[in-house]
Amino acid sequence: MATTAPQVDTASAATAALRRIVGSQEAVLFLAICLLLVVVGGINPRYVAERNLESMLLGNAYIAVAAIGMSMLIISGNIDISVGSLIGVLATISGTLATAGYPIVVAWLVPLALSMLYMALVGAIVAYLRIPSIVVTLGMLSILKGGLISATGGTWISNLPAGYHLAQMQLLGLPMPVCFMVVLTAAAALWMRYSAAGRAVYAVGGNAEAARLAGISRERTLMMVFIVHGLFVGIASVLFATQLSIIQSTVPPNLELSIITASLVGGVSILGGTGTVIGSTLAAILIAAIGSSLIFVNISPYWLRAVQGILILLTVLADLMRRRRRAVRG
Amino acid sequence: MLRTLIVAFGATLLAGTALAADRWDGADDLAVNPLPCNGGAGAEAAKAYDGGQPTNAADKTGKAITLVDVPKLIGIGYFNATSKGIQDASKELGNVTATTDGPTEAKIDEQVKFIDNYITRGVDGILFAANDPVAIAPVLKKALGKGIHVVGYDANSQPDAREWFVNQAQFNGIGKAMIDAMAKEAGEDKSFAIVTSTFTTPNQARWIAEMWAYAQQCHPKLKWLETVEAQEDNILSFNQANTLINKYGDQLAGLFGMTSVATPASAEAVTQAKLCGKVAVVGLATPNAMKPYVNADCVKSVVLWNPVDLGYAAVQVMRAAVDGKLKPGATEVEAGKLGKLKIVNGSEVLLGPPFIYTKDNINGFDF
Amino acid sequence: MTGEARAVGQPLARLRGLAFRHEGVLLTILVAALGVLALQSDVFLTADNLLNQGRLMAEVGLVALPMTFVIVTGGIDLSVGSVLGLCAIVLGYSWKNLGLPLEGAIVVALATGTAAGFVNGWFITRVRVPPLIMTLATLALYRGLAEGISQAHSVRGYPDWFFVLGQGDVLGVPTQLWILLLALILCAVALARTTFGRALYAIGHNEVAARFSGIPVDRYKLAIYTFSGFMAGLAGCIFVSRVSTTRSDMGTGLELDAIAAVVLGGTSIFGGVGTIAGTAIGLVLIQLLKNGLALTGVKGDATIVVIGTVLILSILVTNFVQRRQEGDR
Repeated sequence: MATTAPQVDTASAATAALRRIVGSQEAVLFLAICLLLVVVGGINPRYVAERNLESMLLGNAYIAVAAIGMSMLIISGNIDISVGSLIGVLATISGTLATAGYPIVVAWLVPLALSMLYMALVGAIVAYLRIPSIVVTLGMLSILKGGLISATGGTWISNLPAGYHLAQMQLLGLPMPVCFMVVLTAAAALWMRYSAAGRAVYAVGGNAEAARLAGISRERTLMMVFIVHGLFVGIASVLFATQLSIIQSTVPPNLELSIITASLVGGVSILGGTGTVIGSTLAAILIAAIGSSLIFVNISPYWLRAVQGILILLTVLADLMRRRRRAVRG
Repeated sequence: MLRTLIVAFGATLLAGTALAADRWDGADDLAVNPLPCNGGAGAEAAKAYDGGQPTNAADKTGKAITLVDVPKLIGIGYFNATSKGIQDASKELGNVTATTDGPTEAKIDEQVKFIDNYITRGVDGILFAANDPVAIAPVLKKALGKGIHVVGYDANSQPDAREWFVNQAQFNGIGKAMIDAMAKEAGEDKSFAIVTSTFTTPNQARWIAEMWAYAQQCHPKLKWLETVEAQEDNILSFNQANTLINKYGDQLAGLFGMTSVATPASAEAVTQAKLCGKVAVVGLATPNAMKPYVNADCVKSVVLWNPVDLGYAAVQVMRAAVDGKLKPGATEVEAGKLGKLKIVNGSEVLLGPPFIYTKDNINGFDF
Repeated sequence: MTGEARAVGQPLARLRGLAFRHEGVLLTILVAALGVLALQSDVFLTADNLLNQGRLMAEVGLVALPMTFVIVTGGIDLSVGSVLGLCAIVLGYSWKNLGLPLEGAIVVALATGTAAGFVNGWFITRVRVPPLIMTLATLALYRGLAEGISQAHSVRGYPDWFFVLGQGDVLGVPTQLWILLLALILCAVALARTTFGRALYAIGHNEVAARFSGIPVDRYKLAIYTFSGFMAGLAGCIFVSRVSTTRSDMGTGLELDAIAAVVLGGTSIFGGVGTIAGTAIGLVLIQLLKNGLALTGVKGDATIVVIGTVLILSILVTNFVQRRQEGDR
């Protein structure tokens, strides 16, 4: 395909940008969400009532926040399947600190620090010892899960102090988790797109050898992305822990699956190198909306999971179709 | 192509409505036996002993025995409580050592493997709460065949796979207690929804079937809207309860929680939606998890039995069976501080009527 | 999943040498573990116990064999657990609700598994959906189908002859263990000695180059995913026979167990390296560790911590050994 001279015409540059936005996975997801709201709202108007919209966003914001870090990780060419167990452990630590009398801020911040430390360790094993991340996190999954039960015996944590429940607070009229989700997504998106470190993540994920030749250190970039992932997981675990009055000190089942699905449906490519965190947040919202909608639409509860699976598959296919078309168009 | 996919997306959703079924009804094809409306025992025919017996069990009358307790899963408050009861009884009897060990998820395959390993290791008795009554039968029968005593509690297996089963309360007793409480709190002609763990959990399925049978018989104006699944996950239960509240709005007057995870989460959803007093929450749960809501007057009553007593009774029954004091055909058994417990349905030891925790008594319990 | 370029120019023979080394190290670990566990419990190394463990690991084993093929080509199959559950439900449903004779129901169940695997393979090869995504979607979809078809009913009451498959013995050895051994031998021969096997390694190494050398990449990939579905169906039938009932939640988590055995056995997640022998050793190591620890009195939660640690440490050790070998040249 012959290259042409750079276009100076701003109008066609704008059209190209617009086409890029409209044709993106994020647009597909946004469209799907709107479609869902319209169709299901038509069947049962309570679906689009403010309270339900708030519930849907609120109850799953922590998944979206964790998916931000996961997306970055997948873009760099790695994955973390121990994230569900990690969130369970961090939530328990947070609750234990709060009930033991430490200042609430400590109970909020210690999980972040621990998570980043843990991820630094995992990152080091992946980056320097060259063990694939799926293997390391597969092993860590068991270690964390077993360790949690051994340590706590599965007792629930109640008697949490007032003022601890971050996820139940509001900021400017919006529930705190939603604020976190929006702000963190925006910050992460900007960081990934415009900072050298963020772009290094894409480079390492896309073609590590080329990145190395361009002067980007694979090891340092991987360490950084794992630690950043740890930060987001830490935040997500605090949102998770402060949602209800009690903390269930077990590992929430299938949590890692939900987080990874949100990232993948959001358009993050498993081959590394492409995708955005805005996509994963939109996908998390979409998946939450689908889950809720199926109850509103009275779908027989037995077929719920099947319909969810189909809808996820359709969204992924849409992404593929779109990429194919874009590649053909050149 | 994109358009085709969007259409497929919308079509799947709409098609899904065509699959709408009636509200789930318990689905296990067993007969229901609702109690009469105004108290009194249900019609109960005497049944011959139908349990299994160990082959050539060693005679350990009065001697020290080792037991293993394999609940559905470990790590939830309910089975922590039964485990405590088991330890209390072991200490009291003095010649029993019991360990609680089980899977971290309520899956039959894991539970079967745990029991299998303990059979190989060699224990004198196995206590269990089954994830599935039929799936657990082969391995329990294997245990009986090796001379190991088998006593179940909380969730039964097929009768011939165990010697005795300590039943916390009759299914129809639970059904009556739950529906009566809801009718009293929410109103006779109101609508309710149910949050359960999964549709395939046998106990929950039976309770719901009995609840519905009893409601139809004694509170016919109660409307059952729907049942949702929430595994044993706190936050999922919370989200599901929220969705129900949002979906039905004012129409929803009551929520049933069928597990010790679903009930606190439903109460939390009602509290956070500021609907305490408008939406009644009735359910099965452990006292500690419900204290905040009961003390805040959001939940009036929590139906349960005493799981600590349940575990305690299981060990007492096991000891009696090992010592030969409890034989097939018996109609009651001596169970330490619980006194004499009745034996019904051939081989079931009945703990007693359901226990209702209210604001007056809940603070006296710690599990 | 690739994060770095692989050296394509390695001759296959040297690769096999490396792989052999990994199995050697693993075997040493296995023998050492057996020794320690045997010292701790005198019922561990009995024929009774070992045969029983063979019975219990049949389902994971049957699924881990095609998983080796799949991972060697650089793919993955996360849906095997859900396929197992679906086939179990189909078995019960065909027999009870559709009234088929039990033999017919078994055939239908196996056909369902094969079809499920075929669907995976078709989307992966024709539509080019990455395997991780496709099988993640079918993990949800097939489980959902199982729940929908079963409507939360269990099917029980099978005739006695059916239980020979899961609970019976043939010549003193559990039936399913014979099946597993047979499958193991066939798969090992296929991977190590046939053109097909060599082609799988080539695909894992460099799919584009493999395509250009005339290997029918799509056809082979379709075959292994279909095979994976079939084996999951077979494992489903055995599972139903072993526990004498069907449930829609059967097989949850099976994929992780299978992947752990395969990865432990030396198969590289990036593709191109791995043997059936390694998978077999990995499988046995995990099963006997769990069993041995339980017999010693270690509780369930501590056991999975040990398994996770062993997984990571083994990979570290074998990686280290391989690196040393590479460095020696």
